[in-house]
Amino acid sequence: MLESGHSQKGWTSPQESLRYLFMHITHLSLTNFRNYGRLELDLPLGSILLHGENAQGKTNLLEAIYYLATSRSPQADQDSQLINWDAAEAGDSVVVGRLIAQVATQAGSRHIEIRLIQEQGLSLRDGQRSFRRQALVDRRKVRLMDLLGNLRVVMFLPQDMQIVTGSPSERRRYLDITLCQIDPIYCRTLSGYNKTVEQRNALLRQIGEGTSSQDLLPVYSDKLIELGSRIFARRSLFLGELAREAQRVHYEELTKGTESIRLRYLPRLQENGSGSRGSVGPLIALSEWLQENQMDQPAIQAKFSEALAAAQANDIARGATSVGPHRDDWRFWINGRDLSRYGSRGQQRSAILALKMAEINWMNAATGESPILLLDEVLAELDEHRREMLLSYVLKSSQALLTATDPAMFTAGFMKQSTSMTVSNGRVQPDDD
Amino acid sequence: MVNNALPRPVQQLINEFSRLPGIGSKSAARLTFFLLRSGGQLALDLSVALQELKEKTRFCSICFNITEEEPCLICQDDTRDKRLLCVVEEPLDLLALERARAYSGQYHVLHGAISPIEGIGPEDLRIDELVKRVSEGDFDEIILATNPTLEGESTALYLKRRLADTGVRMTGLARGLSVGGDLEYTDEITLGRALDGRVDL
Ligand SMILES: Nc1ncnc2c1ncn2[C@@H]1O[C@H](COP(=O)(O)OP(=O)(O)OP(=O)(O)O)[C@@H](O)[C@H]1O
Ligand SMILES: [Mg+2]
Ligand SMILES: [Zn+2]
Repeated sequence: MLESGHSQKGWTSPQESLRYLFMHITHLSLTNFRNYGRLELDLPLGSILLHGENAQGKTNLLEAIYYLATSRSPQADQDSQLINWDAAEAGDSVVVGRLIAQVATQAGSRHIEIRLIQEQGLSLRDGQRSFRRQALVDRRKVRLMDLLGNLRVVMFLPQDMQIVTGSPSERRRYLDITLCQIDPIYCRTLSGYNKTVEQRNALLRQIGEGTSSQDLLPVYSDKLIELGSRIFARRSLFLGELAREAQRVHYEELTKGTESIRLRYLPRLQENGSGSRGSVGPLIALSEWLQENQMDQPAIQAKFSEALAAAQANDIARGATSVGPHRDDWRFWINGRDLSRYGSRGQQRSAILALKMAEINWMNAATGESPILLLDEVLAELDEHRREMLLSYVLKSSQALLTATDPAMFTAGFMKQSTSMTVSNGRVQPDDD
Repeated sequence: MVNNALPRPVQQLINEFSRLPGIGSKSAARLTFFLLRSGGQLALDLSVALQELKEKTRFCSICFNITEEEPCLICQDDTRDKRLLCVVEEPLDLLALERARAYSGQYHVLHGAISPIEGIGPEDLRIDELVKRVSEGDFDEIILATNPTLEGESTALYLKRRLADTGVRMTGLARGLSVGGDLEYTDEITLGRALDGRVDL
């Protein structure tokens, strides 16, 4: 089982047989995180099944690991919501939520930590309670951005379907979180780019209102072009690789050669004529142009600069920058049609599965280490063939955490190969065999 | 924090302290009670220092550094190079460069960096004064030593455009400074090296 299937044809790390020695969490420690007042948990290699009743903390545990890897929550819109609310309401002047993972990697063992700090005094600037975050690697403070890459995960959630059906911002978010785990330079460029967009938009509004002159604008446009062109190129390269692998996985592993998906980057290198539902034709052409010119920064800069100039009058009127990677999209096509509009739910689910499996293979190839897999309740929704495919990825990973309310859906064979633990009211107890 | 059990002067000082950045109402109360319990001299010294801060300091009319004398000691100093000008965001940046002892030219303090989000435009900084000073002056080189942040870099790029007509050579500090950091917190060695390796913009 382990040696068959995708590993023969797909991207495999040269050290495939040693993979079990690689990236995994050996210990997880949570303080005041969600419903975990205090958790100290040793984690073994291989697959770990977390089971328990509803609302006991299964999803929260996966969220904690995801947060340590990406510095983002898959669900909370405000990070201050992550702090245990009993602690937050106890009336102390400072409440600290703390997440720590001891991670074993090829390069040795690492201690990574995120602190969520909520001060009860109202901040004078905005009247909000002040909230901040700190990141530490091996107990030294680092920027949050520099934490990324120390722990890499691929997560499967029931709401992943929104990657297909949701807004472009959902897809950009997925893209950025995945790429940032592998490429710290991309992450830094993106952060600078996003700040530049915000500054430029504020300036556009001021120009529109007549409170600022236009002679500052070229400063921000130049910066936008410099950073944005690098983002266009990196995304094009990444999505090209991911598309090929997702297509292969989908065709060979999930649909047994019956259906073909295509994933395409839609770079916003041009103003969108007719609203968000405007034709994607021109963007597809730009996508192909970008693929061919991926390595040619001056060419991308020239094109981006042209698009910005063409949009400038409108942008001033609207007070926002309408072209650039912050408005990018990417989409799936199935048998030539837009999957979000014409695909069945089953087809959409297969596409997401193919995407995530491709992501695992891509991370393997890019780093030589298998990412940690986090699967929240997803197996219950899959038919037998797809479940089996997904479990084969689980069994091949160095570490995978799965949640389920009912462990009975797992085969005895799978249970024998994994460690199971009971989650109950913010406590986790390994089961006796 | 309004509390009837507290005498008015105590309440007032707590209120004043909590208007300072980084001080919440709890710290404000702690500071107030500390002063209340300490001997009279500490509170007196503090009040004199606060008064003199506003009464005895001003901005130098040439470089806009904070000074007790007019012009400031650096602008008065004839042993310093008059043809070299270094532009910084804040007085604390100037102080950091002085500590590095690697520079002995003139300064110009902008008092901030351009940031449209915070509503800070060129007209809120000492930029017109800089342009005037450079066009009327006799400088060989201007070092744009703004912070290596987005705001600092944008300010430098803007200055470069504004000063282009003067024809004076413009340089920036060499990289090697930690990106996203503050000049003020950079160690002397790194700062000295960054000054030595400054580059044309
Ligand atoms: N900030 C917080 N502080 C304390 N408790 C919280 C916080 N945020 C969420 N919770 C609680 O955590 C509990 C467990 O949530 P979680 O989503 O992990 O459950 P679960 O075990 O995955 O359940 P299910 O099987 O229904 O998915 C919920 O009852 C929720 O109310
Ligand atoms: Mg759950
Ligand atoms: Zn002076």
